[in-house]
Amino acid sequence: MLTDEQLVAASLDGSANAFDEIVGRYQQRLLRFLLTRSSSKADAEDAVQDTFINAYRYLESYDSRWRFSTWIYRIAIRNAARQRRPEWHDADVELVADADPLQDCIDHSEYENVWMLAKRLLSEEAYNAMWLRYVEDLSVREISTALDKSASWTKVTLLRGRRKLTKELAGDSSAAEARESYGRI
Amino acid sequence: MDEFEKRLKRDSDAIQADVSPALRARIDASLLSVEQVRPASQGKVPVSGNLWWASSLTGLAAALMVIVLINWDRPGEPDLPAEQVASATVPADPDPLLTPPMLDIRTADFTSPLEDELVRLQSDLEKARKTVRKDLDFTF
Repeated sequence: MLTDEQLVAASLDGSANAFDEIVGRYQQRLLRFLLTRSSSKADAEDAVQDTFINAYRYLESYDSRWRFSTWIYRIAIRNAARQRRPEWHDADVELVADADPLQDCIDHSEYENVWMLAKRLLSEEAYNAMWLRYVEDLSVREISTALDKSASWTKVTLLRGRRKLTKELAGDSSAAEARESYGRI
Repeated sequence: MDEFEKRLKRDSDAIQADVSPALRARIDASLLSVEQVRPASQGKVPVSGNLWWASSLTGLAAALMVIVLINWDRPGEPDLPAEQVASATVPADPDPLLTPPMLDIRTADFTSPLEDELVRLQSDLEKARKTVRKDLDFTF
């Protein structure tokens, strides 16, 4: 199986199927990520489409020293920023649940999806950093490249984000236990 | 991978993001109409090795010719004895007592009526005179 970087090289050499393979590998990952960033599913799909168009158009400028995922996520983040939603988390602003495509795409379960929680608690950049680290398994250096930030900023942001979420999750679980015990009484 | 990381991964998988055939068709169609942007350097016509050498040698020869022409009619430096040249580069040590002091000369900037300025200037002059006299008494 060819790596992403090998597929890029093949695409640059004129292989039409190579970029199709890249699209196949990334379409769902990008859509999942962009669903958390867009105001509607249609916007997320538009952003996915634009990301692939831009990636293909400027494929020549891809620097193979970096992983391809770093590069394509950087494009996706820029595309998402262009269609920035007005109601994106801003400390005091509550999200409009009806307009959130992420809410619609998550199975309703007993526990709140941690990414919904992250979206509520973290800044946009911190959310991106957490996603790239824990879902895409990018290194700190790759994340800092994708987000155009320093490595130290990325480390601190990841640490703070993790602490914030862990604390909130611990609070949730203790509240759930309290509810259970109350129910038993 | 600890429990927290597992949960982040698991919850990301729980986000349903199935790509519809319509979206895939849109992407494929848009890619067909897009052309890759090639960096400008790739558009250059490759230069053969012989041509490169020829142009380099021509340039070198032209540069040498210019240097020769510039220096052709240049008058030679006068031959001075080594001692004279050396001493000419060192300024004579002036006698500090005969050297006039550096004066701080500034243009008067009149901001008030002329009579007031005159009074101020006279006052400044008197102060300076006293200072000089005091310095002279102190020195001699």
